[in-house]
Amino acid sequence: MGYPLVWITAFFCAGIVFARCFAINFWLVLALAAIVLFLGAILIERKGTFPIILLAISALTGMLIFRNSQALPKCHISNFVYFKSNGFCAVFGTIDSQPEIKGDSATFVFNAKELHLRDSGYLCSGKILVHAKGAKDLYCIEKLILKGYLYPVPEPQQFRRDYLKEQGIYCIMRVDSGNMALAREADRGFSFTRFILSLKSKMLEIINKYMPPIPASVLEAMVLGEKKNIPRIIYDSMVKTGTVHILVVSGFNVGIVIFIVTLFLKLLRLPRRARFIVAIPCSIIYCLLTGASTPVVRATVMGIFFLAAYFIKREPDIYNSLSLAALFILSISPNQLFNIGFQLSFASVISIVYLYPKLKKAFRLDALKNRFLNFLAEGSAVSLSAWVGTSGFIAYYFRIISPVTILANLFIVPLATFITLCGICLIFAGLISPPLAPYFASTSELAVTLLVRLNLFLSSLPCAYYRLS
Amino acid sequence: MLNLTSEERKVLIFLMGVALVGVGTSFAVKVFAPVKSIARLDDDFGKTDLNSADIDLLKSVPGIGEKLAQRIVDLRYERAGFSDLEQIKEIKGITSGKFNKMKNYLVVR
Repeated sequence: MGYPLVWITAFFCAGIVFARCFAINFWLVLALAAIVLFLGAILIERKGTFPIILLAISALTGMLIFRNSQALPKCHISNFVYFKSNGFCAVFGTIDSQPEIKGDSATFVFNAKELHLRDSGYLCSGKILVHAKGAKDLYCIEKLILKGYLYPVPEPQQFRRDYLKEQGIYCIMRVDSGNMALAREADRGFSFTRFILSLKSKMLEIINKYMPPIPASVLEAMVLGEKKNIPRIIYDSMVKTGTVHILVVSGFNVGIVIFIVTLFLKLLRLPRRARFIVAIPCSIIYCLLTGASTPVVRATVMGIFFLAAYFIKREPDIYNSLSLAALFILSISPNQLFNIGFQLSFASVISIVYLYPKLKKAFRLDALKNRFLNFLAEGSAVSLSAWVGTSGFIAYYFRIISPVTILANLFIVPLATFITLCGICLIFAGLISPPLAPYFASTSELAVTLLVRLNLFLSSLPCAYYRLS
Repeated sequence: MLNLTSEERKVLIFLMGVALVGVGTSFAVKVFAPVKSIARLDDDFGKTDLNSADIDLLKSVPGIGEKLAQRIVDLRYERAGFSDLEQIKEIKGITSGKFNKMKNYLVVR
């Protein structure tokens, strides 16, 4: 069986890399792509020529999508803001993220629609990072009118500037109390985004209600992707042991959600087709709940691909589904190709899928009759495969090499699996039957404490990790 | 290499064509769509009215605390309302510098 999507994705990525490295003329490349597409339509039946044409179009499309993602419309908010003393201005738009409230101030991403600056008003677009004082009762997707100072991210803060740019944010606005007003009160009605956010708040509330702060912060990260409360010492020790990936919601979590939903529906005697139909929206909701980060989107697309294969009666293929997930993410945001989360997520999965069967065969792991030894050997093979795939990226970005990773993952991953399962059960219990929740909370707390202590112990082992200069 | 059936090839060519038209249109809109001007918002939007604000509202203005808010309200009663923003300069504690900082947030209606 061939891997058409793998080739198409590889050339698409090559196109993105090319467009990032070299300045390309959009219209010239578009014209070239149109000619190649026309040739492809003519030579569609030629088995030798068509694949080359298809791959050429894939690369050109990659270039065009990247170039398009870099272009800002004329009405983009950043085109109106040149320097800090831009003056007082008013912006009308919508809150685009859940506001983070600290004391009497709130920080949120604001989607600008109208800008009133000096003597004129303009229709505009683009995102602004807003720091608002005296703002407490704010909700995502609420329509607001803000008045304050709008300015670009300061030059000296290059790292922050790049990070915000990656999020599509080019400007910052400071709003003092009294300079913010709801544009329309009726906008506090139902919306899907608000439903997702309130569900997430409810889940976080359950975790924090039944668990002490530190274990709760780890569980929040593992189940809902909420990493901001994790103590620095725990995070650092996980970087040292190369197990920080367990603090990220990954494909494994999506798999658990799909498994729990299908199992529950199976108990209700629903046919397989109906179970799969329900599991698809559930996995999408979970993806949105956890902030739609790259690993979750990848896993969700792959999960849907596998479930959809059942409906069209085709055998799902891991490489093609992985490529489809990459194409989906990169078509929406081609810059993700240069994001560490994207690189680690795909590198680890590709490495496990490719290397693990080879290691299993080479070391004849199937021949091991003892189940415990078999479990240890297979776990080590998966851990080694993932380490080989990701260690290069980790060394480059974090300047650290952790030989202890293989040993650490052997113990940490099963423990993390157990914690994730307990965490999801805790949330379900908290939502459906609160009297049961403390039992799951106690178990989760115990497992998280064990995980943290084990991780600290592993990071303190001699030769556990080496820092690169 | 790709092992595509005739139907799959047609679908791929169609999808690539749609993608190219889509990305071309999106780029053209970004590059060529002009900036549209609209009616300007009232200058006084969001400003605190010195003639109607209570102490709590005045305290929300940067630079005005409890004491200063009380003095503004006292002067407002004394004068039976303000006719000009500059009048608050007479209040003890409002220097020219402080007035310049807070004048953007205040209005006399």
